[in-house]
Amino acid sequence: MKSILKSLAKLSLAATLAGVFAHSAATAEPLEIGLLTPSPLADVGWSKALADGLDKVKAKHGDKVKINLVENIQEGPDAERIMNKMVGDGNKFLVLGSFGYMNGGLKLAKRNPNLSFVHASGYKVAKNFSPFTAKYFEGAYLMGMAAAELTKTKKLGVVSAFAIPELISTINGFALGARSIDPEITVDVVWINSWFDPAKARDSAKALIAGGSDVLFSNAQDTPSVVSVAEEAGVYVYNLNSSMKEYAPKKYLGVVKTDWAPFFMASVEAHLAGKFKGQNQWLGMKEDTVVVEDWSSDISADMMAKIKATEAAIASGEKHVYDGPLVNQEGKEVVAAGKRLVDGAILGMNWHVQGVNSPLPK
Amino acid sequence: MTTIEFFLAGTMSAATVFLLAALGELIAEKSGMLNLGVEGMMAVSAAAGFVATYETGSHLIGFAVAGFAGIIVSLVYATVAITFLANQVATGLAVGILGLGLSALIGRKHESLTVASAGNVHIPMLSDIPLLGPVLFQHNIVVYLTLATAVAIGYCLKYTRLGLAIRSVGENPHAAQALGYSVPLIRYGAVVFGGLFAGFAGAYASTIYTPLWADGMIAGRGWIAVALVVFGTWKTGRIILGAYLFGMVSLGELIAQSLGAAVPSQLLSSLPYIVTIVVLAIISTNAARLKLHAPFALGESYDGSESR
Repeated sequence: MKSILKSLAKLSLAATLAGVFAHSAATAEPLEIGLLTPSPLADVGWSKALADGLDKVKAKHGDKVKINLVENIQEGPDAERIMNKMVGDGNKFLVLGSFGYMNGGLKLAKRNPNLSFVHASGYKVAKNFSPFTAKYFEGAYLMGMAAAELTKTKKLGVVSAFAIPELISTINGFALGARSIDPEITVDVVWINSWFDPAKARDSAKALIAGGSDVLFSNAQDTPSVVSVAEEAGVYVYNLNSSMKEYAPKKYLGVVKTDWAPFFMASVEAHLAGKFKGQNQWLGMKEDTVVVEDWSSDISADMMAKIKATEAAIASGEKHVYDGPLVNQEGKEVVAAGKRLVDGAILGMNWHVQGVNSPLPK
Repeated sequence: MTTIEFFLAGTMSAATVFLLAALGELIAEKSGMLNLGVEGMMAVSAAAGFVATYETGSHLIGFAVAGFAGIIVSLVYATVAITFLANQVATGLAVGILGLGLSALIGRKHESLTVASAGNVHIPMLSDIPLLGPVLFQHNIVVYLTLATAVAIGYCLKYTRLGLAIRSVGENPHAAQALGYSVPLIRYGAVVFGGLFAGFAGAYASTIYTPLWADGMIAGRGWIAVALVVFGTWKTGRIILGAYLFGMVSLGELIAQSLGAAVPSQLLSSLPYIVTIVVLAIISTNAARLKLHAPFALGESYDGSESR
């Protein structure tokens, strides 16, 4: 027994020494970037968009950076444990891919002032902790314009995850875009109250189609469930984050893609230069983060020209999706003509614009 | 397809997932084995069945592989809980969690891929009747086979020697042993049957109902199946009704929303679970009635000794 203990002690001493040496040798090693994602990394979807963004950073900086991916981590206490481990493993720049990692990540950031953190969809900021969000509503507005031309029933349907401001403002953008072309159009929304339930998303899409919607919007669904239902039923569909055209080759309206590469690139370079500064990063077409592509060829050239002109106007800041006059579901004017909704009101949006039929779950 | 047609027809296909899994669990519980690992067995089979269907293009092979996968997982449970006499609840939970992890591993390379859904039957004349046609006679063959199997299982449990053997093992294993039945053998058989049907439920979910694989897609349906068995007080007819009721409730929520009903969607989302609790509460008001229906030796290990 004693000899076993002794050899164990020796072993652990050796391990410690090895660790010390490894650590001292690490100074010239690449910057380790840790990415934590809430869903498994697939060919499509949110996690994939994040990973793609970092791939471009890797492509530019080569051996100077190393990317460590930890996927499919549930939000909650376990995520905090894993984040701690990632920091312990030597990651110096962390990309936290989900809203629910916020508080754990923030604690970690305060404890490790030399590390830099970027965090998806959150609202808390620290010296070395930047939340980042995409202005999806800018892309959704353009999709609304295209949908307005292609719909015959004048009914659009949305399958949506949770009623949080980010998703609400995206639906409103879609409705505003469609009604800018044809004010008779209305939008139905089904909230499935889950980030992840493909069967429910599929049934919701079918219910919307049965109710007369002939253009669907898959809002924050990471699986192609809604997209493939639309193709089967022969109605148009678009989604966010990454293209799912291969799941709906005939009926794909397009994708509101997020390209995180420019933001990640700038943040990583700032970190390398020791100049990373935590701030709220709300990124849209102007920053080349929100990109709309894979447009359906069924959209007429006239409409396409209109869409492109609007896209340019939004990117330049000349036009804003939430320019007045804006009227809410009850028919009350929220923003007068000539005024613009302030950023804070969009980030905390809890009301639907006129034309959205479904009541907002409270 | 109108909304009402979709509602009724959708109920039938949504119910099939619950019904398949619940039938398997019913047989296992009738033999006295409480297997709480249904969710995990379904997940593993859904992944395995999807991968097989994706690679071969055949739904039949997908179902076979899924059934096999369900059997394998159920054998893990059976070995630990029957041969080694471990606590059934703990073993079932452990196997369930193991299954969820395993499913992610099996489906890793096929995350978010899709397969073509198997076609639906088309019965001349019947399928073309307005309303009734699309609602009753345009489903996938599995929907009908499941119903037929449910009826067969109900008959088998009630009227056949095999059914009597399964029930006697679940009610009083000592007496069954004394009559010459091998308790472990029958329990193994019942658990494996449960695994097979959880496997079919998984394959139905991942290749027909929602023809795609994504980690976590079973999303609690295995648990609903377990609840359904209690809900149906271990009676086949009531379980069929329960499965259809659950299918209807889970779909009704989405349809109510798409029609713009002003009901909070969070409340609607929790309806299936609320219904379960309410019905369980109603059934349990009469404790004697619940006891009368529950297999008497449910959840008890049997070590072959003469008396307890």
